[in-house]
Amino acid sequence: MSAERQTIASLLTQRLVQLPLIVLAVYTVTFLLAWSIPGNPLESPEGRRPPAEIVEAMQKQYKLDDPVAFYFDYLGKASGVSWLMGTHPEPFDLGPSLKQPDWSVNEILGTGLPVSISLGLAAMLIALSIGLVAGTIGGLRPGSTSDYLTQLLAIIGISLPSFVIGSAILMFFAVKLRAPAIGWGGETVFESLVRASFPAFTLSLPFAAYISRLVRFGMIEEMSSDYIRTARAKGLPRWKVALKHALKNAFLPVLSYLGPATAVALTGSFVVEKVFAVPGVGQHFVDGVLGKDITLVMGVVLVYSTLMVVLNLAVDVLYRFVDPRLG
Amino acid sequence: MGSTPKVADAARILRDVRLLAPFILLVVALAAAISLDRPLPPADLVIIERSDCYTLDPQRMSYQHELRRARVIYETLVNLRAVDCAIVPGVAERWECSPDGRTWTFHLRDDARWSNGDPVTSRDFAYAWRRALLPDTAADYSGLFFEIKGGKAFFTQRDERLKKYAERRKAGTATLSDLEQLWTETVTDFETNVGIKTPDDRTLVVELETPLAYFLDICAFPPFAPVHSATVEKFVTHDPTTGRIVQRHDWTKPGMIVTNGAYTPTVWRYKRDMRLERNPYYWNQAATEADSIECRTIENPNTGVLAFESGGADWLTDLGPEYKSEMLAERRAYLARFRADVDAGLARGGDIDDIVGALPAPGSGERRDVRGFDAFGTDFFSFNCREALPGGKPNPFHDARVRRAFALAVDKQQLIDRVTRLGERVASTLVPPGSIEGYPLVEGLGFDPSRAREELQAAGYEDRDGDGIIENAQGERFPTVDILYSTASPRYQNLALAMRDMWKRELRVSAECRGKDSKLYKEDLKKGNFMIARGGWYGDYGDPTTWLDLQRAGNGNNDRGYVNPKLDEMLDTARLETNAAKRLAMLAECERWLFTEEMPLLPLCNYVTVYMYDPSQLAGMSGHPRLEQDLSSLHRRDAAKDAQDATRGAARDTGGGRP
Repeated sequence: MSAERQTIASLLTQRLVQLPLIVLAVYTVTFLLAWSIPGNPLESPEGRRPPAEIVEAMQKQYKLDDPVAFYFDYLGKASGVSWLMGTHPEPFDLGPSLKQPDWSVNEILGTGLPVSISLGLAAMLIALSIGLVAGTIGGLRPGSTSDYLTQLLAIIGISLPSFVIGSAILMFFAVKLRAPAIGWGGETVFESLVRASFPAFTLSLPFAAYISRLVRFGMIEEMSSDYIRTARAKGLPRWKVALKHALKNAFLPVLSYLGPATAVALTGSFVVEKVFAVPGVGQHFVDGVLGKDITLVMGVVLVYSTLMVVLNLAVDVLYRFVDPRLG
Repeated sequence: MGSTPKVADAARILRDVRLLAPFILLVVALAAAISLDRPLPPADLVIIERSDCYTLDPQRMSYQHELRRARVIYETLVNLRAVDCAIVPGVAERWECSPDGRTWTFHLRDDARWSNGDPVTSRDFAYAWRRALLPDTAADYSGLFFEIKGGKAFFTQRDERLKKYAERRKAGTATLSDLEQLWTETVTDFETNVGIKTPDDRTLVVELETPLAYFLDICAFPPFAPVHSATVEKFVTHDPTTGRIVQRHDWTKPGMIVTNGAYTPTVWRYKRDMRLERNPYYWNQAATEADSIECRTIENPNTGVLAFESGGADWLTDLGPEYKSEMLAERRAYLARFRADVDAGLARGGDIDDIVGALPAPGSGERRDVRGFDAFGTDFFSFNCREALPGGKPNPFHDARVRRAFALAVDKQQLIDRVTRLGERVASTLVPPGSIEGYPLVEGLGFDPSRAREELQAAGYEDRDGDGIIENAQGERFPTVDILYSTASPRYQNLALAMRDMWKRELRVSAECRGKDSKLYKEDLKKGNFMIARGGWYGDYGDPTTWLDLQRAGNGNNDRGYVNPKLDEMLDTARLETNAAKRLAMLAECERWLFTEEMPLLPLCNYVTVYMYDPSQLAGMSGHPRLEQDLSSLHRRDAAKDAQDATRGAARDTGGGRP
C-alpha cells in the first residue's frame, strides 16, 4: 500500500512541477500565433474608424505597440507574479478584453466556464452511458443485427457534424414541439435539465460513438479470453460474466480515452454552443481569435491548457487505482 | 458463523456502491450546477440581437445596436423621435441659438433625474463631453466633438502634454506632483478654452467653431449623452507611467450604473442577455410602453430564427441567414393574396403593420413575420482614385472617365434581382432618398453601356487591333482589374463576380476577384492595394454631410484616396451658409457633381435590414428611412385597444417603409 501511495505522490509532484512549464510553453506559442493574426483588435472590421491618434492612444494603453513588454506584462499579471511582487492589485488578472472594454477576461471566463464545464461533463456522462450500453450489446453478439445497428449509429454519430444534428434537433424539438432547447437555464430544475440535455446530447454523439467502438472491441477480445471461459465453465451466468468480469477490463481503454475526450468536450464545444445559444466560453474564444482580441485568446488558452494538464493527471491517477499492474 | 457471509455481502455491496459514488456525486453536482442557472423572469418585451453591446459607456459606443439601447438608457439634451426623426425636447425643455448660429443655450428641465434620484445637471453634460474629448478615453466619435469651439485644440494639447510627461517619466524627472499638475492643467484648459459652459445647474451653453445646421441632430446622438459624474469618477485613476487617466468600466455594470433614460439595466450577462427595467425617476413615464425589456444575444443567425419561431420573443432585430430572401418572398406571396385590403388600408392612411396585423393568418408558403426596411445605409464599391497603385504601377482609375465608364456599365437592377435578391432600392448616389428632411432627390449616373464605351474611348482605351481586347494609344492592354472584397458574407463575392462579367461583356476588360478575410481586406483597403473594392456606409446623423464628408481629403474613412480641392471647397462654402434650404441645395449640387462627374465610388443600392416580428402581436415599429427604432415605444398589441384604434381609423405617420 505504501509503495502505491509513494508512486502517486511522486507522480503528483512530477506533474505539478511540469504544469507551469507546459503552460508557459503553450502561452509562448499562443502569444506568437495571436500576435501574428493580421489586423488591429482596436478597430472593428466593419464600419467607421476612430481617428489615428485615438488608435495610437489605445495601443499604448494596452501595450499593443510593444510585443515584448506585452508578453512579460501579461505573463506577470496572469500568473500572479506581479501580485506577489506587489506591483499589481489582483492575482491571476487576465486583463481587459480588447474588444469588449466593459468586461475583463476574468469576468468573461467566470460566467462562461461553469456553463462550458457543465455542458462538457454532461455530454461525457451521456456519451459514457450510450457508449457502454451500445458497445456491450454489440460486443456480446458480434455480427448480429443489433451489432450492425449500433455500429451504424456509431458511424453516423462520428461522421455527422454537430451543427447538422443540432439544427435538426432544434427544428424538431424547439420549433415543432416548443420544448425549451435554446439558451441555458430554466425556471424549474426540470426545465434547466431538459434545456441542457439537447446540447449535451448533440455534443456527446461523437464521443459516444467512439466509446461504443472501444467497448465493443474490448468485449469481443475479453469474452474470448481464457479466464472468461473458466468462469463460464464454473457455471456463472453469461450476463454476470460479461458485466462483472469482461466489462471491467474492456473499460480500461475507455478510461484512458476519457481524459483527453473530456478536455476536447470542454474546449471543442463552441459549435454546439453557437447552435444552441449556450453562453459558454467557446463562442468567446472563437470571436476572440476572429477579432484578434489577444487578451481574451491568451486568457482562454491559459485556463484551458491548465485544465487539460490537470485532467490528464486525474486520469493517470485514476488509472493507478483501477489497474493494479500500474500501482 | 452464519452472519459472516451477510457481512461480506454487505461489504461487497458497499464497495460496489463506493465505486459508483463518484459518478452519482458528479451527476448530482452537475444537475445542481445546471439548475442553479436561472433565466430572467418574463419581460414585457423580448428582443433578440445578433451581438451584445460591447460597452454601455455612451461616449465609447459606435455600433447600431448599442446606440439603439443607449437611446432608452440615457437621455440626451434633445431626442430624436423614431417615427419621423424630428427633434423633440429631452433633458433640455427649451433651447435657443444665437443669430450667428454659433452659440446654443440649453435650458434643462427641472424634473430630469438620474436613476438614483439625483438631478441631471448641466455639469453632467460638461463632464461627459470632456470625457469624449480626452484622448485618454479613446472615444470613436471624438471627431464630432471637434465641432465645439476649442475642442480639437484641447484634444491635441492633452495628447502633447501626455507625450511630454511620458518622456520626462522615462527620463526619471517626473514626480507625482507633476502628475497632479498635468491633470489640473488639463481641467483648467477645458474650463477656459473649450466652448462648453455651465453658468448654473440648469443651463448649458455651447459655442461652436462654425455654424452647424445639424447640431441639434448631433446632440441627440448617444455619444452626446450625459453620464453620472460621481459614479464614473469613482473608477478613475491616474496612471503614473503614462500620465493618462485610466477609466475602469465597472461602472457600467448593473447595480453600479446610474442612468437618466427611460430604462436602467438591472441584469447584464455578457453575450447572453440584458434586462432593462423602467427607471422610476424618469420624467416622461407616459411615453414609455413596456415596464421591462429583455435583450437576448443569439449570435448564430439560424438559431436566432429558430428561437423566434419557437415563441417567446417579440422582435429579431437582424434576420441573418442566407434564406432570408426566400422568407421575404413568402411575405410577398401573403401580401399578394390580400393586395386589395392592403392598398385600401394604405389609401386610408393606415399603418402597414396595423393593416397586415389585422388580416387573416398566413397560409402555408406564406408569412407576415418578416419585413424588409430600406436602411440609412448605402452599399457601394470604391474606386481607387490614387495616381498610382502600391508598387508604383499606374492606376487607370485615377482618370474620372474610366471611373464613369465602369459605373455606367453596371446594371444594378440585375444585380439586385439576380444576386442580392432582397428587393433593395437601386442607388445612383450616396444619401438614401427621403431620409433627410428638405434634401432633394439627387440622380447620379445610371446604366448606359454605350456611353460607358464612349467614356473609355475618350480616356484613350479602345480595341485598336480587333482582337476583342481594349488597348491604349501605345498598344498596351487595359490592366487586369483587381476587385477586392471581404469574404465575411457571400454577398460580396457574388456581387464582385457578377460585376466582373458585366465589365467583361460591356467594356471588354478582364478583371480578377480577390476575396480576403475581413481583417486582411481592411488592411488592403487602408493601403490602397486594390483597383475596385467593396465598401458601404451607414449615416450617423441626419445631414448629407455624414455621407459627403467621406470623400474629403484626409477623412479617415476615405478609402478611395480621392482628393479634390473643389469638393472640399464646395463643402466648406455650404457649411457657412445659414439659410437651411440654400445649404441643402448646395450640398445636393455637390452630390450631383460627385456622382455624375467624379464617381469616386460606385453606389449600388440602399441596404435592406430585415426584421422578424409578427405585426399582429407587436406594434410601434417605425418605417422612417433613418430606421431608428425606439425600444420604449415598441409594445405588444392589446387586442381590445387595437380594435378601438381600428374603428377610429387611427392614422399614424408611417414614413417610407415598404409594405
